[in-house]
Amino acid sequence: MRIEQAVPIDYDHLIQADRVHSALYTDPVIFDEEMDKIFHHGWVFVGHDSEIPKPGDYVTRQVGYQPVIMSRGKDGAVHVIRNRCAHRGNKVCARDKGNEKVFACPYHGWVFDLDGRLLDTPQADGYGPGFDKSEHGMAPAAQVGVYRGFVFASLNPSGMTLAEHLGRATELLDRCADLSPEGELKLTAGWLKHKFKANWKMLPENDCDGYHVDFTHSSFMVATDSQAIGLIQDGSEPVVRDWGNGHIEIDFGIAYRKRGIPFEWFGRVPASKLPNYVKAMVARYGEDKANALFCGGPPHAIIFPNLFLGELNVVFYYPVSASECVQLYTPMLLKGAPEVNKRAIHQTEGAVGPGSFLIPEDVIIAERNQAGLAAQQPEWLDLSRGAHREYQQDGLTVSHMSDETVNRAFYRRYKQAMQRDLRGAA
Amino acid sequence: MVSDELLRQISDFIHHEGRLCDLSRYADWEALWTDDAHYWVPRADGLDPEEQVSHINDNRRRIHTRIHQLLTGTRHSQVPASPMVRVISGITVEAIEGDDYVVGSNFILLELAVQSTHDQHVWGGRITHRLRRTADGWRMAGKKVVLVNADEPIPNLSFLI
Repeated sequence: MRIEQAVPIDYDHLIQADRVHSALYTDPVIFDEEMDKIFHHGWVFVGHDSEIPKPGDYVTRQVGYQPVIMSRGKDGAVHVIRNRCAHRGNKVCARDKGNEKVFACPYHGWVFDLDGRLLDTPQADGYGPGFDKSEHGMAPAAQVGVYRGFVFASLNPSGMTLAEHLGRATELLDRCADLSPEGELKLTAGWLKHKFKANWKMLPENDCDGYHVDFTHSSFMVATDSQAIGLIQDGSEPVVRDWGNGHIEIDFGIAYRKRGIPFEWFGRVPASKLPNYVKAMVARYGEDKANALFCGGPPHAIIFPNLFLGELNVVFYYPVSASECVQLYTPMLLKGAPEVNKRAIHQTEGAVGPGSFLIPEDVIIAERNQAGLAAQQPEWLDLSRGAHREYQQDGLTVSHMSDETVNRAFYRRYKQAMQRDLRGAA
Repeated sequence: MVSDELLRQISDFIHHEGRLCDLSRYADWEALWTDDAHYWVPRADGLDPEEQVSHINDNRRRIHTRIHQLLTGTRHSQVPASPMVRVISGITVEAIEGDDYVVGSNFILLELAVQSTHDQHVWGGRITHRLRRTADGWRMAGKKVVLVNADEPIPNLSFLI
């Protein structure tokens, strides 16, 4: 379905309190606006500082459509710069990652510092006195922010700060890093990359959808004799929670803590198999807090718009077109916890990635969802579930784990972004 | 290094194993494995699977889970199963280690994603089998598949590769 572009797109009509229009998933004009307003003028997740531990380390990434380099400068600072030579536009770094003293363009040999500043132009006498090197760097992201090692960038100089964007959702990132006895994460096990033909928004919507699990993933439940159904049926129910600004979660931890079984979120591994980890955590936090962390585990949450924290998996995505997306996955390794990390890698292989036991089902459902939307009636996707039973807790909206509270929260933030001129204001 | 007869047996096994994958004959394929099985699709050749995440890194138990899941009939990403045909070529015994034969081959696989898009995916790469002659005939202790595009975004890999 294509919206005529003669008039501005009416997002008030397309995004309503309890339903959204199919065109949000299929229309290429809306997709272009999303790239511009959400990805090129808002905060997005780029990577983790543990991926570039040493000066000169870099990884190449994308912010929306734009290729960028996340690098560690000689001063130790993290930079995000466009992967484009300021001379004639050549993509300077072709590799996924590496270590360089400088970034040298292979076309005419222009040399840039790790923060993108132009250092040298070969045969410099070809440039006159008016040529100012400071105006010809690889263009940096307007803002770069790091929280607990998670690196975010915004290409918008006048938009909100990272602290404003994350708001109370920093607690979700804390819940990850606090699981390390050193308080730090390591995303160093490499990224699995997965492509599929569905709109990117189906991912955040599905990642915090507690309603689909018994159906989409029934084969996993049967094959692994999963306890997840028991968790829902025994009354210690998980909830969904709206953290504001489009950040959303299914809080399984609340149920796990009620049940009080350490590491239930980690395949119920007995604590005796992680003796050094348990010891180090108790030393850092004391018995009670360590035990609460062991029971509650990491979050299952979306940081708007492109980061998913799924237990010990970190996931992010690159929208490709209205109907194509690439998703990347890596295990969330805990610094100072080799016993956990060894298992985390294998758990990631079982849970996420193109060959795993869970995500291929989500992907195939997303592709069928995309295909189904070609049927233009009914025009709307219904997101009304649970609106009548939401409640407030600690100033946040909470509801039953199967409720679409989280979808509505995502679309509230989405609508704000799509209606606001983010070039100007926060 | 090996006799023509031995190479023929090895070659027959590898083609048979590939055919079971093509036909999604899950239980028959599972029966080819030894107890110390390792079914492995790394992100690149030479990576340490204890340090670097793999697409697939199954021990015998996880192979069983994989097959059990496929046999439920509700593994939606393989319902219906992808029609497939693979061409295997260049079968070479690379090493003999005790009772094990380490065998290299190249493959190209056409897979039709009938579950959703009906796109035909082309897969290809190098396979290393670890084959063992047992009292019950030839069995497979290892299968490593290094895809040409292993470190690129790839589609669903929930069929048997």
